Parts: sequence; structure tokens; C-alpha cells
Amino acid sequence: MASAPGATDPARIKKISNQELMIVWQDGHQSRYRGPVLRGQCPCATCQDEDTGQRLILPIHVPDDLEFRRIEMVGRYALQFEWSDGHRTGIYSFELLRRLCPCAGCRAGASVRT
Amino acid sequence: MTAQNTPLSDERVLAELRKVNDPDLQKDIVTLGFVRNLSIDGGAVRFDINLTTPACPVKDQMRDEAERLVEAIPGVATVSVNMTAEVQSSPQMAKGALENVRNVIAVGSGKGGVGKSTIAVNLAAALSGSGARVGLLDGDIYGPSLPIMLGVTAAPDHADGKITPRESAGLRFMSMGLLVKTPDQPLIWRGPMAHKAFQQCLFDVAWGELDYLVVDLPPGTGDVHLTLAQSVPMTGAVIVSTPQDVGLQISVKTLRMFEQTKVPILGIIENMAYYICGHCGAKDPIFGEGGARRAASEMGIPFLGEVPLDMAIRSQADLGTPIVVADPEAASSVVLRQISEQLAAQVSIRNYNAPVLEIE
Ligand SMILES: Nc1ncnc2c1ncn2[C@@H]1O[C@H](COP(=O)(O)OP(=O)(O)OP(=O)(O)O)[C@@H](O)[C@H]1O
Ligand SMILES: [Mg+2]
Ligand SMILES: [Zn+2]
Ligand SMILES: [Zn+2]
Repeated sequence: MASAPGATDPARIKKISNQELMIVWQDGHQSRYRGPVLRGQCPCATCQDEDTGQRLILPIHVPDDLEFRRIEMVGRYALQFEWSDGHRTGIYSFELLRRLCPCAGCRAGASVRT
Repeated sequence: MTAQNTPLSDERVLAELRKVNDPDLQKDIVTLGFVRNLSIDGGAVRFDINLTTPACPVKDQMRDEAERLVEAIPGVATVSVNMTAEVQSSPQMAKGALENVRNVIAVGSGKGGVGKSTIAVNLAAALSGSGARVGLLDGDIYGPSLPIMLGVTAAPDHADGKITPRESAGLRFMSMGLLVKTPDQPLIWRGPMAHKAFQQCLFDVAWGELDYLVVDLPPGTGDVHLTLAQSVPMTGAVIVSTPQDVGLQISVKTLRMFEQTKVPILGIIENMAYYICGHCGAKDPIFGEGGARRAASEMGIPFLGEVPLDMAIRSQADLGTPIVVADPEAASSVVLRQISEQLAAQVSIRNYNAPVLEIE
């Protein structure tokens, strides 16, 4: 999966509110994530079957008022969220976060690719 | 020349020192803030040059150039330059659990047995010999080899709930081999136990202030690397390869693993690259020359150097004293020291250019 240089390297990470996160990437792209949506995309083994990739938790399973309790860097490559429902086992690599960018441009690109 | 009449001033001296460049950071030493404690007393000029590592490969060259330029200023009688160094912290390190450790450097490879542990021990000892504060962590929780290579196998002491690292060859080191009396078979850790065991060796140790913590990884791409990458923002990794891993093919998987966890590759070292004849000292490129160097340049990765196949490297490791300490003037020690300086330079470059990232 070749991508533009810096496309998966964040230049800024900003928690806009308890429900919204912004990442500005080194290629200039900006992503704004809604917390509850991200929670429904959690890549951990309880939320997604490790072997089949089948999702066990989907965004529709997540209450709309779910909040970030804590956001931490994992080494140099990922973010870990602790949510107001207590869940905290998901490690979201920057590669994954870039793929999850909800902006219209990325969604359009994603639907072509998959 | 009108300068003769201008009295000697700080500005005049600094103007000359601006001509001295740090070739790694590609800026002059005044702009970089390396010149400290400048004093002018009559014709006597004194200053410090504070580098980003005591293992700077061009330290002497920079000192000589600075001396020469300032000496040439009319009115200057004597110049005394004091070389100092202060290793910079990798930007994210200072906030984490290992806040007193400035840089974590992993040593990895694709294949086993290429000499990772041997190289890691010697690079760490060479960095320490240059004056840096260095720790060495045996990441090989399955088959720890550092206690033998460093000649210390006794269990470490504890103080205030932390493990006191053992000292040898100027290093503070920690190994699972100090905690578990290892039989000859490899240790087996089930699932999350490997993660815990390694984290204990990393976090439960009173490392104290360290400029560099070198981590010797087990062969291949596994749990330990992932645990390390998740636990600390590493400054980067060094890949050891041998001429047999044709075109580094075997290490590509390892490179990919580092890439996925955003661990910068500081460079590639080719081990057992050539043979030094024990009788006449001649160099013999038994496996053909320059494979790793070429592959590194194709991949845009710094090539740090080649280490010869040298029985003295092995026998010193078996005796428990790394060759750079046991026989510092040996040809292989000179090469290993040069490689450690190239590595230190790459660390400085990374830290100088690294953006500081925090969650706002
Ligand atoms: N440049 C060298 N010249 C001679 N012998 C060497 C050299 N480098 C390593 N060796 C020897 O090769 C053997 C393997 O080295 P070492 O244990 O350092 O490899 P390793 O990559 O750490 O292995 P493992 O993958 O099992 O951890 C040792 O006996 C060591 O002394
Ligand atoms: Mg080893
Ligand atoms: Zn989850
Ligand atoms: Zn987008």
C-alpha cells in the first residue's frame, strides 16, 4: 500500500472536544474524527475477530454520547483511547487512522479501492 | 586589512566560528548554539564547543578548524577550545515512563546468528568509552546471551522496588539471564507473559540517567519488538546483516516491521563482511564486496559500516569482555568505534530534525 510521503505521519494531534479529535497529517491533509464513530471502529480483539476481520462492535452499537476519557501516544506509531465506557484496549495505528478519515474525499477514494 | 585596528570582540570571534559547520546537522556551530562560555582576555580566547554527542565522528576536525580560524584573527595570541557534549533527548521520550533515558536504540536483524548481540555489546561499550552514559538491555528473553558476553551472571540487587542494573564494560545492563537461571534450552514464555517479562526488564530497572539505551532484539519479527515499539518512542533501530542475506532480502521483513511501527531506521551494519588474515592482517572480501552498502543506498538508509569476520571478536565475547574494551587498538575495535560514532551522528540528526508531537 504505497501512499504519499507523510500521509500516515501526523504533524498535529488535537482533541477538539470530548467527542472530537483532529489530526493534521504531514502531507497537509486534515482529518476530523467523531469519538463514538472511532469507538465503533476499534481494532482490538474484543471488537474485531482477529482471524476473520469480522467486526463484533459496530458504530451503531455505540451510544452517541460516548466520550474520550484519555488519549495517549503508543510509541511513535499509534494512539490509544480510553473511552467513557471504560474500554481501552484498542491501539489505532496512524496508518489505520488515515484509512478511517471520514472526509468526503477519503470516503470517495475508499469506496473505489474496496 | 582593516581588521588589525578593530579591537578583538565576541562578534569578531563568532564571525569566524560561523565558518565551522557541523557536517551532520548541516549548520554552523554558532547557529546551532554549540559555542558556549566565550571569553576574551587580552589576546587569550577561550570557548567551549558543546556537541550533541561525545562520540561525534568529526569532533577533532571541528576543534582544529575552530582553533585555526580564531588563531588567524589579528590580535589573538592563544586559543583554548574545550570540547563538551550533551546528548539530546528524542522528543517524545522526556514525557514517558523512562524520562531519564534520552534515546532508545534497538539492534535487530532478519536472520538469527548474524551477530546482533556481539555488535550491540561492542557499540554500547564504544559509546560508553567516548564518555556517554550507556545502558544495554538484552531483549532476547528467550535466549539471553549478554550475561556471558559481559562476563556477569550473578543475579542483580534490588533497591526501592527496582532492579539495580549490573555494570560491566562501562555499561549498565539488564538481561533475563540475570533473573532466570537459564538451562541450555531456550526459555518459553506463553502469550502475554513474554510481553510482561520484557517490560519488567525495561521498566523495573533503575537505569538512572542514560544518553543511550541500546536494546539487543531477538532474531526475527516478534513480540519483543512490538512490545518495545508500544512501550517507548524509540529514537530508531539499527539493522545488522551479513553478506549471505543476499541484497538484504531477509531483512526486508524486519524493515517492514519497523516501518509499520514508525521506528526510524538509523542505519545498516554489515557484519562478517570481510576476513582479516590472522597472520598478515590482509583484508579478504570472502563473500564479495559492498552488498549491504549498495542495498542501503538503494533504500535510502544510512550505511554505518562493515565489521570484519575476526576470531578475536568472538573470543573476547566468549571471555566476557567486548573487544573494544579488551583490545581498543585492534583493527576490529577501530572499525566498531567508527561505526558507533556514525550511529551517534544519526541519532543526533534524528533528534535535531524530529518534530515534537503532542496531543494538544
Ligand atoms: N564479526 C565477527 N567475527 C567473528 N565472530 C563473530 C562476529 N560477529 C559475531 N560472531 C560470532 O557469531 C556468533 C553469533 O553471534 P551473536 O550471538 O552476536 O549473533 P546474534 O545475531 O545475536 O544471534 P541470535 O540471533 O541467536 O541472537 C557468536 O559466536 C559470535 O561470537
Ligand atoms: Mg543475540
Ligand atoms: Zn476494542
Ligand atoms: Zn480525508
